Amino acid sequence: MTDLIGISPALLFGQLFIGLINGSFYALMSLGVAIIFGMLRIGNFVHGAQYMLGAFGAWYLYNLPTLFPGLGLPSINYWWALILVPIGVAAIGALMERVFIRKVYDLDHAYGLLLTVGLAMLIEGLFNVRYGAAGQRYDVPELLRGGVNLGFMFLPYYRAWVVVAAVVVCFGTWFLIERTKLGSYLRAATENPDLVRAFGINVPRMLMLTYAFGVGLAGFAGVMAAPIYQVGPQMGQSIIITIFAVVVIGGMGSISGAIFSGLMMGLIEGLTKVFYPQASTTVIFILMAIILVLRPAGLFGRDTSVHSVADVSSGRSGSILENGRLWFVILLAVGSILPFMLFPIFAMKILCFALFAMAYNLIFGYGGLLAFGHAAFFGAASYVAAHMAAVWGVPPELCILAGVCASTVLGALFGWLAIRRQGLYFAMITLALAQIVYFYAVQADWTHGEDGIQSVPRGMLFGFIDLSNAMTMYYVMLAVFLAAFAFLYRVLHSPFGQTLKSIRENEARSISLGYSTDNYKLIAFTLSAALSGLAGSMKAIIFQIASLADVYFMTSADALLMTLIGGVGTLLGPVVGAAVVVTLQTKLATFGAWVVVMQGAIFVLCVLFLRKGIVGTLEEFLSNRITRQSDRAVAGEVDGKAKSGIAS
Amino acid sequence: MTAGAATADYIIEASALTKTFFGFDAVKDVDLKVRRHSIHALIGPNGAGKTTTFNLITKFLRPSSGTIRYNGEDITSLRPEQVARRGIVRSFQISAVFPRMTVRENVRIALQRPLGNSYRFWQSEKALKALDGRIDELLDQVGLLAYSERPATLLSYGRKRALEIATTLALDPEMLLLDEPTSGLGHEDVDRIAELIRRVSANRTILMVEHNLSVVAALSDTITVLALGRVLAEGDYQTVSQDHRVIEAYIGGTDD
Repeated sequence: MTDLIGISPALLFGQLFIGLINGSFYALMSLGVAIIFGMLRIGNFVHGAQYMLGAFGAWYLYNLPTLFPGLGLPSINYWWALILVPIGVAAIGALMERVFIRKVYDLDHAYGLLLTVGLAMLIEGLFNVRYGAAGQRYDVPELLRGGVNLGFMFLPYYRAWVVVAAVVVCFGTWFLIERTKLGSYLRAATENPDLVRAFGINVPRMLMLTYAFGVGLAGFAGVMAAPIYQVGPQMGQSIIITIFAVVVIGGMGSISGAIFSGLMMGLIEGLTKVFYPQASTTVIFILMAIILVLRPAGLFGRDTSVHSVADVSSGRSGSILENGRLWFVILLAVGSILPFMLFPIFAMKILCFALFAMAYNLIFGYGGLLAFGHAAFFGAASYVAAHMAAVWGVPPELCILAGVCASTVLGALFGWLAIRRQGLYFAMITLALAQIVYFYAVQADWTHGEDGIQSVPRGMLFGFIDLSNAMTMYYVMLAVFLAAFAFLYRVLHSPFGQTLKSIRENEARSISLGYSTDNYKLIAFTLSAALSGLAGSMKAIIFQIASLADVYFMTSADALLMTLIGGVGTLLGPVVGAAVVVTLQTKLATFGAWVVVMQGAIFVLCVLFLRKGIVGTLEEFLSNRITRQSDRAVAGEVDGKAKSGIAS
Repeated sequence: MTAGAATADYIIEASALTKTFFGFDAVKDVDLKVRRHSIHALIGPNGAGKTTTFNLITKFLRPSSGTIRYNGEDITSLRPEQVARRGIVRSFQISAVFPRMTVRENVRIALQRPLGNSYRFWQSEKALKALDGRIDELLDQVGLLAYSERPATLLSYGRKRALEIATTLALDPEMLLLDEPTSGLGHEDVDRIAELIRRVSANRTILMVEHNLSVVAALSDTITVLALGRVLAEGDYQTVSQDHRVIEAYIGGTDD
């Protein structure tokens, strides 16, 4: 056969077919995520881990005799696994819903996402402890071995089966939800749970079964994937962010949108591998960005222009815990003696991540927007600063400045794209956009892939301050931290800060007062990105390395975890949270692979039991006392004064 | 433009407004003219399309078809905050205060916008001190001066509504849209809010959605009755209350 436009048809069709297979998995997975989001309003980040459970389930069943020798257990083959495992995974899903997910239905979307991120870390971490990063083999079932030569390409039977099975399951699910009575109950239950309850339907059970069904789809996809991809603890993590992007493209909550865009994105990814392989890892995220500009609600989404940002902050203005001047002095005093009590490098790490968490808190706590891609700003600045210092020999102050500039520009761009959507959407979009930066860092030459930029010289600050001395470096970090602390305090207590606060508390009302709220959110987002970049630049100079870990999504999760543990939307929360998390990470480092498990557990426990964080809880305790006192005072004063007022 | 005599009389001229949600006409071919410096009430049974009409005029919803003119200017394609800056300010059905800001800060946020420094994240909020005098005046007007340092969330429901009106007045709007200003209020509060509305209506135009017919009767110059998304009748209270279609709609409907 002759080549088409310089590309051999075998390669073209081969890649298109691989694309179709990947697309089948995307469709199956995003279908589950879309159902769970549409019905339960939960962004099921643990979907990837549940998919991995499916693959491991099939592997376990097959290897029962070798895993449990002496019990005389049979080896259960692929076909039985295809039935048993999704049911088993769905049962695990039901249990998770019962124990964890149910607790956050009535809370802001942010908590559902955080909870499922924690659960994913927990599950994947446990499997990582047991099986390491290496994958396990799972053979193609005997019936589907081999394939047929179609002339222009070789078609393996198993892969053809995957595509057919996925399409059948997807269509069946679509039919079930959109065209049957059961589906209409489901849809009604999400619109108006009380009404459906009045019909005598057990809504909690229905939601549990819905969640279990969505999770079962992930389990099914996992079994199907076992013979194609390696069965490993990381398999879910690498797919879930792509799935989120696919769901955003399809239109959140849209069943047909998820199926269509899943298949479509697989094909487009395959085509990209043929024509421009460098972009194949990012093409889906880039497409998502383009679609957001053209059709903010996604391809099949309905435009729901609700104006509501999340107010999850627990700071209280006027509280002693929010007194910026006082705490500036205290932080200055504590910061000055810290390196005499801790290792300077450890103290610097705390300050650096405290700065990062404070930056994050500006957008999440005070802007009310659940950003989930701040690793992009932190990491981009880290790479830029490291490159300038290591390769070009630029003095540190200029490296830091360049890092901040890079993250500011990136922040303005990502913010401009993401601000169109809110809530969970916003989180998914920022996550997906950050993934573009991550894959860029994996591929680009100047970032040196897995190695990162190493041996970054600290250099001489302003030409005369030698940063190679640990104590000097520490006090420079302290100065930067305090300057950022003061700057943020000023931002929050500026006319802009007042407006931002009003938007967080009641966005519709701010609009009706004439504020273009999106502009304020964008400025807050960009400032937050800039300060994250400052933290990233400092990190590169202090630790003398910029690496993939800086841009990886776990770094975004860290910022979120620190803010959450400390207290969202409080002045001190991020500082306290960073100190706690950095200390824990350092202490837990001796446990090796267990770190991720414990971090996941902390995430889950925080969402369930410490939503206000350490500072927020303290604030609650203080303000309860103050309210009781002032109630008495006001009651006395008002009785005398305002009897003739218009309001009663 | 058609800035003729007719335009001078009417502040709002909405013609053939239609809003379709998923194939269902929430509002269909509604013509609404609001006379300058009048109090105009929009009434009708539940689901009649009153709040939808409100959202259309304030641009919180985009009309499927039809045009809206404000002072002769076509505002159909403007965004909600642009409409607000032109002097049409709305309230919401559920009380719209900034719950964790103090009463003073609530009013200040409205006064602050015209200052034009709201983007200044580097400026101290002391720059807003200049507004204190005006805030006190506004709070005094609605009887909330004694509560100025309290977080809005701690106010009673009636006081929250009063605060909302103070915040709205802070913008000195040419036109006020009040969405059920007395809903959820006790009997005494209803009278107070009604009195407040009458007081602030001087030199302003008010369009309100209201369920309490005695408030409507006492305040309104013109009443438009909506039912099933269409205009059923229009006129003063006398005319409208005797219209048999209106009576039918109310008795046949599920409303009070």
